[in-house]
Amino acid sequence: MAPTRHPAKPLNMTLAEADMRHGTGQEEPAAGGFLSLQGLGKRYQGFTAVHHLYLDVPRGELVALLGPSGCGKTTTLRMIAGLTPVSGGRVLVGGRDMTSEPPYRRDMGLVFQSYALFPHMTVERNVAFGLEMRRIGRAEVAERVKEAVAMVRLQGLEKRRPRELSGGQQQRVALARALVIQPSILLFDEPLSNLDAKLRDEMRTEIRDIQQRLGITAVFVTHDQAEALAMCDKVAVMNAGRLEQLGTPTELYERPANPFVASFVGRINRLPAMAMGTKAKVGERELRLTQPMEGNIEVMVRPHRIQLEPAGSAATESTNRVQGEIRRTTYVGDLIQYVVHVDGLNWSVEQPTSASATLSPIGAKVDLSWRVEDTLAFKSAG
Amino acid sequence: MEERKPSWLLKVTVTVLFVFLLVPVLVIVPLSFSGENTLRFPPDSWSFRWYGELWSNDRMWGAFRTSLVIGAVVTVLTILIALPAAYVIVRLKVRGSELLYNLFTAPLLLPTIVIGLAILIIFASVGLLGTRLGIALGHLVLTLPYALRILATALNALAVTVEEAAASLGAKPLTVFRRITLPLIAPGLVSAGALSFLVSFDEVVVTLFLAGPEATTLPVEMFRHLESRSDPLIAAISVLLISLTLAVVLIVHRSIGFSTSFTR
Ligand SMILES: Nc1ncnc2c1ncn2[C@@H]1O[C@H](COP(=O)(O)OP(=O)(O)OP(=O)(O)O)[C@@H](O)[C@H]1O
Ligand SMILES: [Mg+2]
Repeated sequence: MAPTRHPAKPLNMTLAEADMRHGTGQEEPAAGGFLSLQGLGKRYQGFTAVHHLYLDVPRGELVALLGPSGCGKTTTLRMIAGLTPVSGGRVLVGGRDMTSEPPYRRDMGLVFQSYALFPHMTVERNVAFGLEMRRIGRAEVAERVKEAVAMVRLQGLEKRRPRELSGGQQQRVALARALVIQPSILLFDEPLSNLDAKLRDEMRTEIRDIQQRLGITAVFVTHDQAEALAMCDKVAVMNAGRLEQLGTPTELYERPANPFVASFVGRINRLPAMAMGTKAKVGERELRLTQPMEGNIEVMVRPHRIQLEPAGSAATESTNRVQGEIRRTTYVGDLIQYVVHVDGLNWSVEQPTSASATLSPIGAKVDLSWRVEDTLAFKSAG
Repeated sequence: MEERKPSWLLKVTVTVLFVFLLVPVLVIVPLSFSGENTLRFPPDSWSFRWYGELWSNDRMWGAFRTSLVIGAVVTVLTILIALPAAYVIVRLKVRGSELLYNLFTAPLLLPTIVIGLAILIIFASVGLLGTRLGIALGHLVLTLPYALRILATALNALAVTVEEAAASLGAKPLTVFRRITLPLIAPGLVSAGALSFLVSFDEVVVTLFLAGPEATTLPVEMFRHLESRSDPLIAAISVLLISLTLAVVLIVHRSIGFSTSFTR
């Protein structure tokens, strides 16, 4: 049965009511997410934009889709929304196969990367459009439009048309237009890319707040990793049309599944080494690994997990250390960034300013030490 | 920034062109107030008698009415056919869209007389000669390419994502078309309609092949009139035609200017 009418969702809805609203109640499989992508793929002539993507988003969770430009984020969102036909795989919502449903029957709100506002309608009419499609009474439409406009801080601009707004204002109209319908699934395609830092912060909080209060399941595309880590329950990292890793921000940051994720989420230093069991050789030095490995590997360490010590300090059981020479120091207030030359590679090291009151001079020989648990190691490619 | 002044050469060229294009048309106006029996410029005497003649000339009025009716029907049919065609070609991008578009717009490149002859041969065999329907269908062949071209351009200028946004907000395809697509291509629709009407209204070549005693259009009737006589009646009709054309152009200009002011 297709939900042809979408009743307004009261803000203080109980969970049971929410279940009834989505019409899935008990049928939803415990394992799969409310939104479940099963082997989703998209091929253009001779080019695969998305490869067999499996992704489960539990009800009420906000999952970030993070990845470099052109990796297939927009294509994935468009397939979920039903705007781009899939080349393979299925889109399930609450266990129901939506793959062949037209977009207007999916009850998903989409914030387009290009905004896609209606140029011939005022801000107010733009925001009201989705509510009118749901045959909501005029008084309630006016009420909810007013709320949504206030939420994106556009009061006073209700009567303007999109071309009379700045890029950031247009983006906020797009945001309000999708949020106001309180759909069961919200899809955001870089919805904050055009806002200043303060407004972006406010909008993040607003989005997160609405999404959590109404228990909306959401996918949030961004290539700002700080944004992904800060506001989402889970982060899916994509690269070249494939899902590299899905995990909580902590998992991604502390236990990246592969070198791509390690270097894409947060900054990282790399050092080639030769592994034998739980030991790895870097030149003459030996590093301890958290798990046994063999052959050529790459050791990775985050810049702020490293301590700088005078050269020749004694190694301990629980730390790894390499030697280096300081090449550059940058003082940025709350921390000092060092560029340290290690084995022909430039490493970056960050130290909080409180801990090291004195700046190590350029050219100084230092030891870089870090805890064994902070040592990431991956098999070298090729 | 300093505004660029048009050079004197450009000014002269433009003036000469204007005179060349407009003077023959403007000469018609005084001619229509001639008191003579022949078309001669300048006339020796002035009068309104040819407007009086026109008023009581039933043949001309009949032809004028036929032209109006055919023009209106052709305009409506053109839009009804060209709009879905443009939509299919531009939006659905079916296999062979390009070919279809080229096929539809090909008549623009052919000499009208060849089209007229071809239609004559076909219509003669199905008994459409000398009927209003026949003339309307003949005009359709000429108006469709223009309308299709204008509407395809208008649709191409409208971002697909805007229509997709409406769909994702719950609008069914027909609603999307009515509330988003249609208002945004309205200027294109108005120009396509106006152009179709004007093309149909002053078409002579093809209509000459198709017209008969039961159905003639105003331009054909004027042509026939001129073959036997050359009195200033023609000038009086021409003044009416010029006014009508100007009115249509003005209406189009006003409405497009109006809608572009809010759809960009
Ligand atoms: N219609 C199309 N035909 C062919 N290739 C396409 C088409 N649309 C997208 N692509 C390709 O698919 C890939 C993924 O595109 P997509 O728009 O999903 O990237 P994205 O991850 O959203 O990038 P960005 O962060 O820059 O928005 C790109 O390499 C793009 O060139
Ligand atoms: Mg994109």
